[in-house]
Amino acid sequence: MAEERIGVFVCNCGTNIAKMVDGAAVVKAATEMPGVEVACAYKYMCSNPGQELITRDIRDHGLSRVVVAACSPRMHEGTFRKAVERGGINPYFLEMANIREQCSWVHDDPAAATEKATALTRASVQRVTHHQPLEKRSVPMCPATLVIGGGIAGLTAALELADADQQVYLVERQAQLGGNVARLDLTAPYLDSARDLLRDRVTRVTRHPGIQVLLESQVVGLQGFVGNFRPTVKIGTGELLHLEVGSVVVCTGYQEFDATRVRQYGYGRLPDVITSFELEAMLRRGKVETRAGKTPRHVAVVHCVGSRSREFHPYCSRVCCMTGLKYANEIKSAIPEAYVSNLYVDMSAFGKGCEDFYKRTAEARTIFLMYEKNQAPEIRLAGTDPEGGMLIAMKERLSGEEIEIPSDLVVLMVGMEPRRDSDEVARLVNISRDKDGWFIESHPKLDPVATTTDGVFIAGACQAPKDIPDSVAQARAAAARILAKIHQGMIAVDAVYAEVLEAHCSGCRVCNELCPYTAIEYDEVARRSHIISAACKACGCCAAACPSGAIQARHFTDQQIFAQIEGVL
Amino acid sequence: MSARSRIGVFVCHPADSDAGPVDLQAVTAWSAGLPGVLSARLVLVKRPLDPLALREEIRRGGLTAIVIAGYRPGHYKPAFTRALAADGGDPDQVRLASFREHGAMAEHALERAKAVVACAVHGVPFSLAAQPESVPVNPATLVIGGGVGGIQAALEIADAGHTVYLVERQGTIGGHMAMFDKTFPTLDCAACILTPKMVSVGQHPNIELMVLSEVQEVQGRAGDYRVKVLRHATRVDADTCVACADCAQFCPVVVPSEFDVGIATRKAIYIPFPQAVPNAYLVDPEHCTWILSDGKKCGACVKKCAKEAIHLDAKDEVVELQVGNIVVATGYDTFDARRIERYGYGAHPNVLTALEFERLTNASGPTGGKIVLKTLKHNKRTKSDEWVFEPDGPRPKAVAILHCVGSRDQNHNAYCSRVCCMYSLKFAHLVREKLPEARCLEFYIDMRAFGKGYEEFFERIQEEGVFVVRGRSAKVTERDGQLYLRGEDILADRVVETPVDMVLLSVGLQPTADADRLAGILGIDRAEGGWFNELDSNTEPTSTERGGIFVAGACQGPKDIPDTVAQASAVAAQVLQTIVSGRAHQGRRHLTLEDIEKSARALAAQ
Amino acid sequence: MAVRMNPGLVDDLARYGADDVTKCFQCGNCSAACPFSQDPFIFPRKPMRYLQMGLEERLRSSLEPWLCYYCGECSVECPRGAEPGETMMSMRRWLTAQYDFTGLSRLFYRSWKAELLAILLVSLITGAGFLTFGFLRGGGDLSVYDGPGAFLPAGAVHVFDWTMGGALLALLLVNCLRMWRFTMGGERRPRVPAGAYLRHLLLLPWHFFTQKRYAECGEKRPWATHLVLMLSYVTILVLVMFFLRDLQFGPEIRWSVHALGYVASIGLITTASLAIRGRLKKDAPYHKHSHESDWAFLVLLVFVASTGVVQHVLHRAGLPTAANVAYLVHLMGVVPMLVVEVPFSKWSHLAYRPLAMYFARLQAEALAARAGRPAPEPKPQLAT
Repeated sequence: MAEERIGVFVCNCGTNIAKMVDGAAVVKAATEMPGVEVACAYKYMCSNPGQELITRDIRDHGLSRVVVAACSPRMHEGTFRKAVERGGINPYFLEMANIREQCSWVHDDPAAATEKATALTRASVQRVTHHQPLEKRSVPMCPATLVIGGGIAGLTAALELADADQQVYLVERQAQLGGNVARLDLTAPYLDSARDLLRDRVTRVTRHPGIQVLLESQVVGLQGFVGNFRPTVKIGTGELLHLEVGSVVVCTGYQEFDATRVRQYGYGRLPDVITSFELEAMLRRGKVETRAGKTPRHVAVVHCVGSRSREFHPYCSRVCCMTGLKYANEIKSAIPEAYVSNLYVDMSAFGKGCEDFYKRTAEARTIFLMYEKNQAPEIRLAGTDPEGGMLIAMKERLSGEEIEIPSDLVVLMVGMEPRRDSDEVARLVNISRDKDGWFIESHPKLDPVATTTDGVFIAGACQAPKDIPDSVAQARAAAARILAKIHQGMIAVDAVYAEVLEAHCSGCRVCNELCPYTAIEYDEVARRSHIISAACKACGCCAAACPSGAIQARHFTDQQIFAQIEGVL
Repeated sequence: MSARSRIGVFVCHPADSDAGPVDLQAVTAWSAGLPGVLSARLVLVKRPLDPLALREEIRRGGLTAIVIAGYRPGHYKPAFTRALAADGGDPDQVRLASFREHGAMAEHALERAKAVVACAVHGVPFSLAAQPESVPVNPATLVIGGGVGGIQAALEIADAGHTVYLVERQGTIGGHMAMFDKTFPTLDCAACILTPKMVSVGQHPNIELMVLSEVQEVQGRAGDYRVKVLRHATRVDADTCVACADCAQFCPVVVPSEFDVGIATRKAIYIPFPQAVPNAYLVDPEHCTWILSDGKKCGACVKKCAKEAIHLDAKDEVVELQVGNIVVATGYDTFDARRIERYGYGAHPNVLTALEFERLTNASGPTGGKIVLKTLKHNKRTKSDEWVFEPDGPRPKAVAILHCVGSRDQNHNAYCSRVCCMYSLKFAHLVREKLPEARCLEFYIDMRAFGKGYEEFFERIQEEGVFVVRGRSAKVTERDGQLYLRGEDILADRVVETPVDMVLLSVGLQPTADADRLAGILGIDRAEGGWFNELDSNTEPTSTERGGIFVAGACQGPKDIPDTVAQASAVAAQVLQTIVSGRAHQGRRHLTLEDIEKSARALAAQ
Repeated sequence: MAVRMNPGLVDDLARYGADDVTKCFQCGNCSAACPFSQDPFIFPRKPMRYLQMGLEERLRSSLEPWLCYYCGECSVECPRGAEPGETMMSMRRWLTAQYDFTGLSRLFYRSWKAELLAILLVSLITGAGFLTFGFLRGGGDLSVYDGPGAFLPAGAVHVFDWTMGGALLALLLVNCLRMWRFTMGGERRPRVPAGAYLRHLLLLPWHFFTQKRYAECGEKRPWATHLVLMLSYVTILVLVMFFLRDLQFGPEIRWSVHALGYVASIGLITTASLAIRGRLKKDAPYHKHSHESDWAFLVLLVFVASTGVVQHVLHRAGLPTAANVAYLVHLMGVVPMLVVEVPFSKWSHLAYRPLAMYFARLQAEALAARAGRPAPEPKPQLAT
């Protein structure tokens, strides 16, 4: 094997790596390693000067291989491959040593950490010598898009794409479009009409020649890969619809928290304890009444039901506070003589116009009572008569008093939680969920709408609780990615994938079932398995499982991996 | 439908507030003449409307549908709905005609207001009836502002293969985010996220980057804007400069660095920060001796530059651009803490603003990321004692972080700045991480941890031993060299006066100083707080009244990084949509009664 | 035992002036800004909270409103424009009404018409009374000046003064007793040993005559004005009560008394008119809001003082008839001022304030004792 000329570039990542790993030491050790031509460290390797450093050294020292000891490849492998390419050598002649996530962030002994960093770097140095030049290829992009979910986010994404003259399939489980927004009457903080904004969108969607709306339908299968997905949709009539799309936008939204789970609120047991959505319905009907048909004089709105709690959901549901204020205003309008109190933890009035809304609500004589997170108030009947009103007992934190609030009607601001079927959906379109069950974006700041599966995007409240404007923005963001891809016509697929050496394949089909990306097809005629390279994520399952060693994962050859292991040891 | 229903129009307005831009009398009188309208009344609301009285009025008038008009009609809707439903009327027949929501605020307020009422009377959503007309579009795009928002928008559009002009007022792109150390709640370093994006911008074949530039004039309409941009001379040829720093080494002029918000210095020829894009030096004409002396004095840098890249006599130029869409992503300024004297910013050296602390704790900051106190040091150059940060300066034993500085305060900015709670928690974490012995207190009013993983971060901070005090601290005083902080610890029911070494002021966000000027140039309006006004707070958060001009990020209202990035991408979608379809959208149409009736018929037909 | 809320309390207080309290979002800025607010008496936020929540009993038993001298700093710095200072002022009005068992105070505060009517009524009765008395008696001769002698048998005026004074004092005492019951009684309050009451008794005159606490406010001017006004008033009160004859009858002048009288009158008139001017021009935060009772108080004060001076001048100028008339007018101001204002309105604070200081000290000490801490002057403590 020809002697490689290797360059090692160690990143300090500000203090992220430097605080635990002595970059200079790693550099020094690296220079000793076989084949290493140059080694140096820099504060931010991914920044402009950092990348310049790499490209310059490639030219000046005629480097043939590059090792970057920095963060996780998931973060910046792409960045550095580009840099290496600019330097004039094949981008796959790069290897990254992860000395941040796997080293500086997880250790507290600088000496040991530095040692480990050196070992990881050595591993990469040894591995990189075995790298093969690989060529990126690109596949055609199908311009049609599948939007799953007909809520505000789905409608927006569909319109955005269709108005750009692209074909959209909008799949909605329910019999009508609108999702949870369709259950609202007015929106916070300006009390604008939710119905009008929805009617506007729904009308435009249903009218749009470019959008095929599939109601009472659901996606049951998704084959293929970025640019060439083949979804199967089970439509209302029960028959299956086979579509061809290039991208998928998941806008499945949220479901409300089940209030019965908070026992001390007595939801379901006490007749006049209702959820926010039930009050919403009352307001729409124009009849805000107790179960007995009386007009309530004391109304209590309880915030954070199921949210910000150790027992239920740790996260804040983001919209309930303003919705709670909205109800205070609406109840005062419907029943001017009513006393409304809002029981809250922290008042999240962070949006445009919200602080002002909070103030107006207070001036309208709404009483705000603060209770402690994880110490929910107790609701009980005032007397024996189930229609004789209730008493809410709580420790009011701002006064330090144990108080009892008489109330004829209690509204529970139920938080948002992932839909019951979100795990199904996740498996279907091959995206992951976080500990709370929300879909995970590929990076919260770099890429808030993309997922780990190319061509599958998430938008709106299925990613985390969101209000209407934020959902709309996300839906459009997803559309932006798709439009960009559509416009280019082709999409580059990674050159790193597994391939079947037909000669060795016995056609046992072990790999077919294993592949989590359904990237392996079986050729009945030739009795051989075949891997759709574009769909392959190079996870290596098949390669590991193949009894006849017929599957070779490019860029993860046994040779490379063994070299790497030797390096660490 | 509207023909058969018997409609009552109620123009409702609070009696104690001024009439606003719309002539309410006129609208009321006018709407009385609309088809199906039996009565139109201007209601000046003193105390809350009485639903029972309304019910009586509805019954007497035999009304079957209600249109509530005004700036905030929604506030009266439940009363009318109850009144209408009381006698078995259809509650869905209470419709809103909101002047604020549909932009009857600026010029032509009256016409717009009439159209809005007419739409409600005909039962057509205004936004549907007023769907903009399309016109041919120029595929080039102008992005104003090179912060993370502008960068994101520019990259998305350019990646799709279209020309983008990115205009940035500073000498580098990156905006505020480039100054940050870590980002909440994930604590990954800002540079690692941003600098690669900056690199891509710098190297992108489709992006023309203009730094030290500002938009002077905008003419034309959606799809076809002609823009004049003033490009201030950097006086250093970016292509030849290799940022070797020789010039700066020999430059005799030392001034405070804007990038380090004054806690470090730079020369008159300088690079904003080492990772700047473009990665080239600039000359500061306000301080360069050669320029100030009309070429008579100094010029050392020119002689020292081996690449001969420095041209001190270079002139500013005005370039004209032709673009189809304009993306405004000019971000924000931070609140000037001097305006609140009792916090002692400026008077006490170790009272810092958020940005100062970001730089102090930043690996590329003056102390290499060490959190230290300012120390008095004699400056030979100015021959005076100055408070400066020294890497080996004393470590603070107690650090207090004050939330809502200039925010949620009607004496300054009444709105919430949305990001301060979280970045304050981030500061607390950094203090505890870098100075485990130090006490760290947070004084807050409401903890607004609403984003993905934010609440969990708040929990984590408390577990890390930070004292979070519910109470807006009132004043910082100094007694014999020691800072004291006085505030009410509401939940502990006591007033505390505690000695601290360092006070961090979580200053809020406010519109940039030139927001007003820019709004004038672009012909877009500004909402409460002076932020650029979006077309519709719910469904069009990134569009403006003027077609082809979009707003993204904090210039539309305080926003954190994920929300800014999402908005920037959203704008990119709107721009790409026009380019891909070849049609730009004019602003909302001016509606005639015919238009409205037409859409009403169309809607009914479905 | 959980307390019930009275959501209507806010609306009730609004009739005493405080209609901005709903704006308050409980940030605590005011309590921290106030130089007096310290453990165990934290205000204005805490009492404002009681008010917002309608915790009537808690508010009634609060001493805090009396510990505030309304420098207005809290209002200036309030981020929501909730006017903590004025709210405290309104609470004092409300408390005065709560202390007063007759209910007249409540009536006067809530309706300025009622207060005005009462003042006019008493004033007319006084006038009519004196006149009729004077004439029925026959001997009454307006052209002869002998003080009240024109209307009443010599000395009768003193009897009248003293009975009225006594009655008013009794009223005030009863109300003070009620104040004591509200603020010091109740299971939530620490038990204060009788000895402590005696030990600190001097605090009453001390605070009454020095207004020392007021002096601790950021600004000194309001304190000075207030002190001068108060001292002048008391001086004149004493003079009238004990040395009336020496002031009224001539011809010889007892300078010792007169000098005092003159100085006090000047002090009274200047300070009162200063206050009026300030309230008209709203020149300071504590002058921004003026309740009807504030006006009634100041106007009466100036009226009484100036008429007193006028009648004195006329008398000394040898114009007996004019002096007599002026004197009558003077009395028509004095009587309603004393009858209406002292027990039922703003003036009662001259009793309640020192009492509050006194009680506050006692409570602070008792609380400290209970917690085993050293008591005196609890300074703000350090956070831990």
